[in-house]
Amino acid sequence: MASHAGAITLVVNGSTVTLDPSRDFHPSDTLSSVLRDRLGYTGLKVACDQGACGACTVLLDGRAVLSCMMLALEADGHEVLTIEGLPADDPVIQAFYEQCEPGYGTAMQCGFCTPGFVMAAKGLLNENPDPTMDEVKEALAGNICRCGCYPAIARAVLKAAATMKARAAGAAGAATSGAGSAKEATHA
Amino acid sequence: MREPFKQRVPRDFVGSYHPRVDGLAKASGRAEYLDDVVAGMRNVLYAKVLRSPYPHARIKSMDTSKAEALPGVKAVLRYDDPALADLPATCCAWTSVNSASHDQMYYPNIKDHKILDSTVRWVGDEAGVVVAAESEAIADAALDLVEIEWERLPFVLDQYDSLQPEAPILHPDINPDDNLLPVHEFSGGDVFIEKGDAPAALAQADVVVEATCQYHRADHSALDTRGCLITWEGDKLTCWNNYYAPDQTRMYVSQMTGLPLKNVRVINPYIGGNFGRCNMGEQSFYIFTALLAKKTGRPVRYKMTRREDFHDTRNPVNYRVKLGAKKDGTIVAADFKALGDTGAYHGHGMASVKLVVKWDVLENMMAPIPNLRYEGYVVYTNKVPGGCMRGIGNIQHNFAMGLGIDMLGEELGIDPVEIAIKNYGHEWEPAPNKSVEAVLRTGAERIGWKDRHPAGKGPVYDGARKRGMGFSGNCTWHAAWQEEMRGRVQAQVKLNPDMSVVLQAPMVETGVGSNACVTFACADALSFLGTKPEDIHWVSVVDTETGLKDMIQTDSSCAYLQPELMPAIGTQLKAELINRAAAVLEAAPEEIDIVDGKAFVKADPERGRLIRDMLWFGDMVPVVVTVTQMPDVTKTGAPFAATFAEVEVDTETGKVDVLRMVVVHDCGTVMYASGAEAQQVGSQTFGIGESLTEEIVYDPATGAPLNFNWVDYSLPTILDFPDIEPVLLEVWRGAGEYGACGMGEGASTSTPRAIANAVYNAIGVRVDEIPMKPEKILAALAKGGYKVPEPPTPPSRLAAGVDR
Repeated sequence: MASHAGAITLVVNGSTVTLDPSRDFHPSDTLSSVLRDRLGYTGLKVACDQGACGACTVLLDGRAVLSCMMLALEADGHEVLTIEGLPADDPVIQAFYEQCEPGYGTAMQCGFCTPGFVMAAKGLLNENPDPTMDEVKEALAGNICRCGCYPAIARAVLKAAATMKARAAGAAGAATSGAGSAKEATHA
Repeated sequence: MREPFKQRVPRDFVGSYHPRVDGLAKASGRAEYLDDVVAGMRNVLYAKVLRSPYPHARIKSMDTSKAEALPGVKAVLRYDDPALADLPATCCAWTSVNSASHDQMYYPNIKDHKILDSTVRWVGDEAGVVVAAESEAIADAALDLVEIEWERLPFVLDQYDSLQPEAPILHPDINPDDNLLPVHEFSGGDVFIEKGDAPAALAQADVVVEATCQYHRADHSALDTRGCLITWEGDKLTCWNNYYAPDQTRMYVSQMTGLPLKNVRVINPYIGGNFGRCNMGEQSFYIFTALLAKKTGRPVRYKMTRREDFHDTRNPVNYRVKLGAKKDGTIVAADFKALGDTGAYHGHGMASVKLVVKWDVLENMMAPIPNLRYEGYVVYTNKVPGGCMRGIGNIQHNFAMGLGIDMLGEELGIDPVEIAIKNYGHEWEPAPNKSVEAVLRTGAERIGWKDRHPAGKGPVYDGARKRGMGFSGNCTWHAAWQEEMRGRVQAQVKLNPDMSVVLQAPMVETGVGSNACVTFACADALSFLGTKPEDIHWVSVVDTETGLKDMIQTDSSCAYLQPELMPAIGTQLKAELINRAAAVLEAAPEEIDIVDGKAFVKADPERGRLIRDMLWFGDMVPVVVTVTQMPDVTKTGAPFAATFAEVEVDTETGKVDVLRMVVVHDCGTVMYASGAEAQQVGSQTFGIGESLTEEIVYDPATGAPLNFNWVDYSLPTILDFPDIEPVLLEVWRGAGEYGACGMGEGASTSTPRAIANAVYNAIGVRVDEIPMKPEKILAALAKGGYKVPEPPTPPSRLAAGVDR
């Protein structure tokens, strides 16, 4: 691929993007500003711009990072996943949306922190698909929800983990039963 | 699974546990906020304003030539430009709950605020000059090139020092004699409440308790930092912003720019939290951004940095409380004295000390007490201005009153919960008030209050950790007088030919969930059509040009004031559909009914037609019903709320951990159960943060704030959050279909006092100055107490012989 000196290549939500420093970004630009202002991924939010709130969380090669604390340059050659890259039936998105059982409130109110929490939860579940409540809290301790929905957020993450587990079991079950019927068909 | 609340009147959707109506948009990152709406706009310039480096100074001269010459700078606007200099002064508390013109502002005698004044009064004050440039970086660089000769003036940070005769005077135009805010009939004189004869009743009381306490300055710290984007083309101005009062913004911009209201269009998308910030009806940045847009002919974006967003705060109030009671716990007199610190400008400082106490707390909580005296003063200091924050003044008052109740209980050997039940109530119901009783007894039972030990006498865990329980109760926020001032409420339903509904109930969704409340009320009102919340689209963007009058999102009252219109909308829509069906069914309207979306002749139900078919195969013109209605503002008092907390104090380190909380709220009617519980649980972030960690720290030598950022200003995280049990009750009933009350303010009012009383119960020593940081706990343990000064009578009042 022909590119200018200093150009960087990111894979954002599966699409390869090459950015030219003479035109598309400045070497001092943060990943958050390039994603939001240059590439239009406005799902991530910038609230403190100093790594203290987690609203800008995205996944870099599957791990949660604070995009306001890293330069776009540092993401060169890496895969970036923003909330726009999650499918509509993503179990974490669904769990955050659906959380409303008696006694805990909803998992968001103003919603400004929510994409950051969702991506931090994705990062946790990528590494640890079956976390305990303490592990959930530890993983989300860098995210601020000023509306204070923490108890419901923690429950939503545990539910998302359970849904992922059930879906994986369902898929495995479907694969197994499929194989079984193929076997029967062979016998017949 | 916790127990759901019990609904007093069964309803299909109002009061339900349900996902948020904006939940999917927010969970998937698709909900758009100001930053997102303006992100794609072209040709935008960026504004940056000079922020004062000094706590008190005057610009003697300013040279902006180098800034103007910097490539990329498109406009520089100076304080001495007539466009700015000729603007009238305003009051930061221009308005609050309604849209008011300049000549009808709340405090006409405290117009202390000039836009980009040449005198600065706090480190961070917007002053002198603003620039618009091709990028924020260029705008910042331009400000660095502005050369200013400052005349530094003496400054005062401390509220007590500010009263002294030698203190520098911040606003000689408002008060040339000292730093006291002038009294105004709106909030009352120095002694602003005098009922019965409190001093005489105190002298005759069986017991008298007396204490002092200090509420401090805390920041809202909403995630979405304030800002706007303004275009001014020809005589037409459009302002996208993230304040929560679009119609008042339109009024303010219109009055300050001279454009008629029709030429000012204000658009508000979702906003990322508000909590009362900027609840002042005016913000300078709209005006200087507008003037830059006019000057350059281009869209101009202004956005505060996180540091700049520390821009108005909770008003600190220092209280002295004196309660006198009979041996049986009946309070015969309460005598309060308060000193509020409003910072550099009046951002509702008077409301924090006087107004809310006089107009809400007095009639809704203190009514049974026969003798009351309240004396209060508000003083300017060279610090960030105070304002509204989840209430105005009620939380500060509660911090004092809840202390008095706790002390009285100990002094008399009576459970303080019983003292509260005996003495709290509103004017419209004799004591004991049913709401007070239900809330406090429920809370006591759920937390296990009967197991509470005497103060400081509990077991010690791991050699050094002591536990304690505390509670406090408060009247919730239901201000009929404010609702009267707000005036008529507007909403509109549009029934489409496919039976889907567009609901225009304009309010800026700050997160409180009032969009769900009105959507559910709409679904209930349209039950004759079989409408479900999922069939209703609530319009989330408020636009003053195409929309109705917005309901200002204060007091959480949108949660019930807009729903109150839905029964009328349902009735009118049904009547219109029956009229249409009459022609189709060839029957008289009074012979027809509609059930489950089908119109039929009552005497012959076979003769009927689906409304959907009637519209779909008709002209397909949607049926629109708009209602403008005054809410029922009959005074009915207010329901009660309370917080019970259990804490653990490490007596070696001084650290306080909140272990458990029970938050009980009588709502009248629960409009949206999951949302109400989210408000109960969520508002504890403020209480826990303000009680234990959050504090704006000033450097006394320079007058500079030291922690206007989220690394040093410590907000509660998921790790600081205890197990919180929200309990919803429906005991009190207000006027109207629902007779509900707001949640966001009431649910946080008692938290700091509940935690402070729990700390006392744990360690047996009172720390009544928040935040209760470890150093204060340790100092209190070492010295057997923590001394909070008594609010003094201002020397100027003593000299004038006003002290009574």
